[in-house]
Amino acid sequence: MTGSGPHGRIIKADVDKAQPASPQAKAAAAAPASAPAAAAAPREHKSLEQMGIAPGSYDLIPLDGMRKTVARRMTDSFRDVPHFPLTIDIEIDELLAARAKINGLLEKTGVKVSVNDIVMKACAVALMKVPEANASYSPEGIAMHHHADIAMAVAIPGGLITPIIRKAETKGLAQIATEAKDLAARARDKKLKPEEFQGGTFSVSNLGMFGIRTFASILNEPQGCILSVGAGEKRPVVKGDQIVIANVMSVTLTCDHRVVDGAVGARFLAAFKEMLEEPLRMIV
Amino acid sequence: MADAFDVIVIGSGPGGYVTAIRASQLGLRTAIVERSELGGICLNWGCIPTKALLKSGEVYEQLDHLKDYGLAVEKKAFDFDAVVKRSRKVAAQLNSGVAFLMKKHKIEVVEGFAKLEKGSPAPTVVVGDRKLTAKHVIVATGARARTIPAIGLEPDGERIWTYREALVPKAAPKTLVVIGSGAIGMEFASFYRALGSEVTVVEMMPRILPVEDEEVSKAAHKSFEKRGIRFRVPASVKKLSKTAKGVALEIEAAGKAETLEADVCIVAVGIVGNVEDMGLEALGVKIDRTHIVTDSHGGTGVPGLYAIGDVAGPPWLAHKASHEGVHCVEHIAGLKPTNLTSPIPGCTYTTPQVASVGLTEAQAKEQGLDPKVGRFPFRVNGKAIAAGETDGFIKTVFDGRTGALIGAHMIGHEVTEMVQGFAIAMTLEATEAELQATVFPHPTMSEAMHESALDAYGKALHI
Ligand SMILES: Cc1cc2nc3c(=O)[nH]c(=O)nc-3n(C[C@H](O)[C@H](O)[C@H](O)COP(=O)(O)OP(=O)(O)OC[C@H]3O[C@@H](n4cnc5c(N)ncnc54)[C@H](O)[C@@H]3O)c2cc1C
Repeated sequence: MTGSGPHGRIIKADVDKAQPASPQAKAAAAAPASAPAAAAAPREHKSLEQMGIAPGSYDLIPLDGMRKTVARRMTDSFRDVPHFPLTIDIEIDELLAARAKINGLLEKTGVKVSVNDIVMKACAVALMKVPEANASYSPEGIAMHHHADIAMAVAIPGGLITPIIRKAETKGLAQIATEAKDLAARARDKKLKPEEFQGGTFSVSNLGMFGIRTFASILNEPQGCILSVGAGEKRPVVKGDQIVIANVMSVTLTCDHRVVDGAVGARFLAAFKEMLEEPLRMIV
Repeated sequence: MADAFDVIVIGSGPGGYVTAIRASQLGLRTAIVERSELGGICLNWGCIPTKALLKSGEVYEQLDHLKDYGLAVEKKAFDFDAVVKRSRKVAAQLNSGVAFLMKKHKIEVVEGFAKLEKGSPAPTVVVGDRKLTAKHVIVATGARARTIPAIGLEPDGERIWTYREALVPKAAPKTLVVIGSGAIGMEFASFYRALGSEVTVVEMMPRILPVEDEEVSKAAHKSFEKRGIRFRVPASVKKLSKTAKGVALEIEAAGKAETLEADVCIVAVGIVGNVEDMGLEALGVKIDRTHIVTDSHGGTGVPGLYAIGDVAGPPWLAHKASHEGVHCVEHIAGLKPTNLTSPIPGCTYTTPQVASVGLTEAQAKEQGLDPKVGRFPFRVNGKAIAAGETDGFIKTVFDGRTGALIGAHMIGHEVTEMVQGFAIAMTLEATEAELQATVFPHPTMSEAMHESALDAYGKALHI
């Protein structure tokens, strides 16, 4: 071992580097009872140089608060939550027609309902039908949420944030559209209050506008599910024995298996699909 | 190319001027830009003038205890103008000291407000109609008092003060409310109380001096109360307004609404970084809650642009600013900085004083460290008894597994002069064994440091 301290003295940093696991993790392992909520062993962090990236061959952008939060929350969630994806295709011709009609009705008000607004509304209604999907795991028990507080992922410069439409099941499409627009705009200006982006019960992430067909998001703890919405596009589908063209959108539900089992996730998606394929169901 | 430098430092506080000196020592052609006074907040409106005021207050308060020492004065009194004047004189002396140091190190002092424009290899510094270029630009523009105008927390130059106004008052207020019990709030509370003001401190967090170890916070609370300072903790501030003769502060404490009336209110609710109007956003500098985001050498991600000191984030302390600046400029000069972790001590110069370094006991537990904790009160320390300064104690926190000293927390007379001992120990990665094996001189209050390290392992001698 060579010392990196003054005059070549071996210092703690050298010893820590030489050890496979960090001292904190070891201390926690040695005294499991005294360190109840001790986090899993932090990853040993190698420098870029150690991993073969030459110094000076890149610009280093320092981590700001949002980047650190995203990194920590996503790492914790992906590592600690046993998650699985369920994908389903949804025909949306009727939905597109309904949306055009709705927007026609709303023309005077200036409000414009997007497919994503309808998706959020449909999620909220489907969650009321399958309440097991509107749940959070905690060591004390499963929290069955009373309302569908739908968090919508909004990309903002340098990261993303998930403002929340509260009690979306009680709100009409016009109201959801108005709130979503306002939240997204204020999210981009970094003007959201903490209570506006903390504490949703279910998330919707939409990358359809980028042409993404399917993807599986990482769960936004403590929510039991997150829905990833792909692009609506014309695809050949088989109807009876005919191949016809339909507008199809694929969505993927990522589930926390501790609280949402496969069958529950599937029931949620079935309810959700039914509603988008026949939008009138949302109001019955 | 008269205006081409190796390094330009913006701001001449303890971050900026020390960085400039070190740059010059390393043979770099250096300029420093300052919009107001050399020495920054620290020398002119912070660390130094407050310590001058506090000394006056401390001496004056001591007069109440003369009898304990077998002494007496006829009548105690103070000349408030002279107290403030002394504080300004001390600040002025140090301010001209910085001017001398700049000259001595051949650092060009540019007066004016610096702005930044795109440039290569580093952004161009624009001061008035001068354009200065350099290979490296270091932003050390510091910070200022946070205000919250929406609820009236905004200085009015008369009855609502920030530290600025509180340093140069015309008279001591009869009654004073201080919002915020951090170091700055508590130091002003301590000073004005010493000169006889009736002082109430309002704190939002569950305890005063909230960053300190809980035991120290509690002991400080008791000592201050004994001196007649009143507290509302925790309390949320609803609104501050001016009345015919003073101010009215609406708060909510323990679920009850209350209005505190006073002649003057000092707002000490934190600080915000000086990041505005300099063109930082246009350069793509990352700013997180009014502070510039930097890497471990002060780099901002924009080529050639660095930030250090208060503007680069907490802890907001002068010695942290200087330390970061030296590290940054040594890195720029291609020196390999040491690999040592240098813990940053924090001091509060109230009566009694509070000083600490490293982790609190609670933080050590949060990190799963299973700490070993030692305590020793000045009550049984010979020098403290002889000096009549028996208030307070020293608490040490060791890593139970390795014995490394990971934190020290002290409250009492002149503890701010002692905490460096623990800082050195931590920089040297000392364990309880080195501290226990060190011979401390007798009689000194520092013997309590030794005893505290012994106590953590059940070996204290005098208790
Ligand atoms: C009342 C009070 C008491 C304090 N007591 C202590 C204490 O006891 N111990 C301690 O460690 N710390 C104390 N502090 C904190 C300490 O003052 C700061 O941490 C320290 O001054 C930070 O140094 P700095 O160099 O980062 O910034 P500053 O000292 O704030 O200096 C920044 C300088 O930059 C100048 N400037 C800003 N923008 C520009 C620009 N665009 N162009 C040109 N010039 C510019 C400003 O005029 C200022 O002179 C105290 C603070 C206050 C307010």
